[in-house]
Amino acid sequence: VPSVQLFATCLGDLVAPEAVADAADLLRTAGFDVEFPDRQVCCGQPAFNAGHHAAACRVARTFVRAFDRVTPIVCPSGSCATMISRYLPELVGTAEFDIWELSAFLDHHGAELPPRNAGRRLAYHDSCHMLRELRISDAPRRLLERTGAELVPLPRPDLCCGFGGTFSVRQPELSVAMADEKLGGARGADALVTADPGCLIHLAGRARHTGDAVRVVHLATALAQGVQT
Amino acid sequence: VKTFLAQPPDRFRAIARRALADARMQEATDAATFRLHQGRLDAWQALPRVEELRERAHAIRMETVENLDRYVEEFAAAAQSAGARVHRAATAEDACAYVADVCRRRGARLVAKAKSMLSEEIRLNEALAAVGVEAVECDLGEYVMQLAGEHPAHILAPALEKTAVEIATLFSRAGNAVEPELEALADEARRRLRGVFEAADVGVTGANFAVAETGSICLVTNEGNGGLVTALPPVHVALVGIERVVPKLADLAVLLQLLARSATGQPLSSYTRLLTGPRRDREDDGPEELHVVIIDNGRTNLRAGRYKEMLACIRCGACLNVCPVYRKAGGNSYGPVYSGPMGAVLVPLLVGLEHAPSLPHASSLCGACTAACPVKIPLHELLLDLRRDLVGGGAASRLERIAFQLWALAWSGPRLYRASTTAARLLQPLASLAGPGRRWAADRTLPRLGRRYRDRADMR
Repeated sequence: VPSVQLFATCLGDLVAPEAVADAADLLRTAGFDVEFPDRQVCCGQPAFNAGHHAAACRVARTFVRAFDRVTPIVCPSGSCATMISRYLPELVGTAEFDIWELSAFLDHHGAELPPRNAGRRLAYHDSCHMLRELRISDAPRRLLERTGAELVPLPRPDLCCGFGGTFSVRQPELSVAMADEKLGGARGADALVTADPGCLIHLAGRARHTGDAVRVVHLATALAQGVQT
Repeated sequence: VKTFLAQPPDRFRAIARRALADARMQEATDAATFRLHQGRLDAWQALPRVEELRERAHAIRMETVENLDRYVEEFAAAAQSAGARVHRAATAEDACAYVADVCRRRGARLVAKAKSMLSEEIRLNEALAAVGVEAVECDLGEYVMQLAGEHPAHILAPALEKTAVEIATLFSRAGNAVEPELEALADEARRRLRGVFEAADVGVTGANFAVAETGSICLVTNEGNGGLVTALPPVHVALVGIERVVPKLADLAVLLQLLARSATGQPLSSYTRLLTGPRRDREDDGPEELHVVIIDNGRTNLRAGRYKEMLACIRCGACLNVCPVYRKAGGNSYGPVYSGPMGAVLVPLLVGLEHAPSLPHASSLCGACTAACPVKIPLHELLLDLRRDLVGGGAASRLERIAFQLWALAWSGPRLYRASTTAARLLQPLASLAGPGRRWAADRTLPRLGRRYRDRADMR
């Protein structure tokens, strides 16, 4: 049985553990043996994007120590996958990793998915780095459709949800205004699905705060559990 | 000038908050940027092999930047041979003093000005006013902003935040009463500005490009003011940033294919003028005197390292229109001249990072700007580099630096990570009391730290 290394990501481990468990289930169902390298911590992105490269480098080394370069690494986050593929090797001064964002990996391997979302209308939110740096936009949509979901297009799918790491606390007013617009565009859907824990906690936290009825769900959960109504 | 462009730490957030609270302005900015954004997308789509064209444009711009001294020399020499008087200005003060001197020598009282961001950057209007010369903006949007006593809110649609009613009020206050209808406003502006074109002693323009091969100034406009400003007054002063130079007419052709398409979605702007030298004997119009002022004003600082990419900018505004932060924060949040992603990169480089520390952070790093840039400037990566240099240069607060150092220590290995996140879990009721947690929690529910994924029994 082929193996994958699962990178939970810090946000996944700490605040979206269900989504990580769902990602592991999806990988197992797709025929992979899922290893969880237990020395993993974080890819260093929070500090890297804030300009604190020494701090980022120190944390990114935990990733280098935890993962091998032979077995594919899969993570349920487009932005961490971007950090690891585009920036981490240069930051730490190390060779590249075989890193995959979850939906790209599942789609690449033709994962079969039961119709858990039959009759559901789902809106998919493109997270920025996944869309523009990794150029992954069809895979998550294809997978959702494979589970029977009808995709509801967002008005401006290219627009950022306003999370942006430290941006969310440096410019909180702009950050939530961007979230409100994204949530507003998903009113007609049963759920707003995103492949990034960062977008997830931001959009879900905003919806919860304002009493917005829009449900925000991680892609792994939507695929593995189906969206409940 | 440094203090004029400088951006104190909390200014961006303060002005953005005001912009967010102004529903009418939000609507106007959203409508205008979306229209321009859609125009660019359609125009790019209609262009065969747009990616190839962008690559060529990028290559042309970067080759020029690499050899900027040589091309600027070439341009200056060619412009001089064509009959222009060329002045090299190292600073804004130098450039303004030269233009003021031209005005003094000609006994000029009235200057007609075409749209020029560089003239805003060097504060030419203020410098001329100080020596008793009135400069009137002849681009409609700039004219509106001048009447309002405000700075342009967008590189190419300076008054995009203003409604017809507001403009009518400004017009009426400055002269005859005008109905708040587009046609009536345009007619009134035309009537007033015709008078300025005819009476002006000096015409001032910027330059979209300056062709080294021929010494020509290229002006790209839609309203025709660039034509009248350079045809009617007896003196024309062209302000040229050193990075406006293109080596050859063939290179200009590549860049012109992208400029208007990326700015407004037009294949070409309504008027694209190439001006070489002053009026010659057999010509009917054009100035007796042409002055070309080649201005550095901090641009040389950008030529070290990766930041030179920013000198490739052709000022199309595509990055503003696509930016989710710009469309909500509005142009003035970034400062008085350059806004949006290009402004967030350019202003700190021109004035020094320590004088504009909030601008590199005025972005969610979504990368839409980079994808929209016709000359492929990696804008969001330059913002990342600027953030790194902010920290390296000591501009990040002590508290922030210590926080990240502690974080890095706590997450430097799996055992410490476990211990620190367990502690965080126990302390989470306090998270919303101070620091980033408080800022988050003011408008969002904080995520709950529960059992970590790694602690789940069914993990393997």
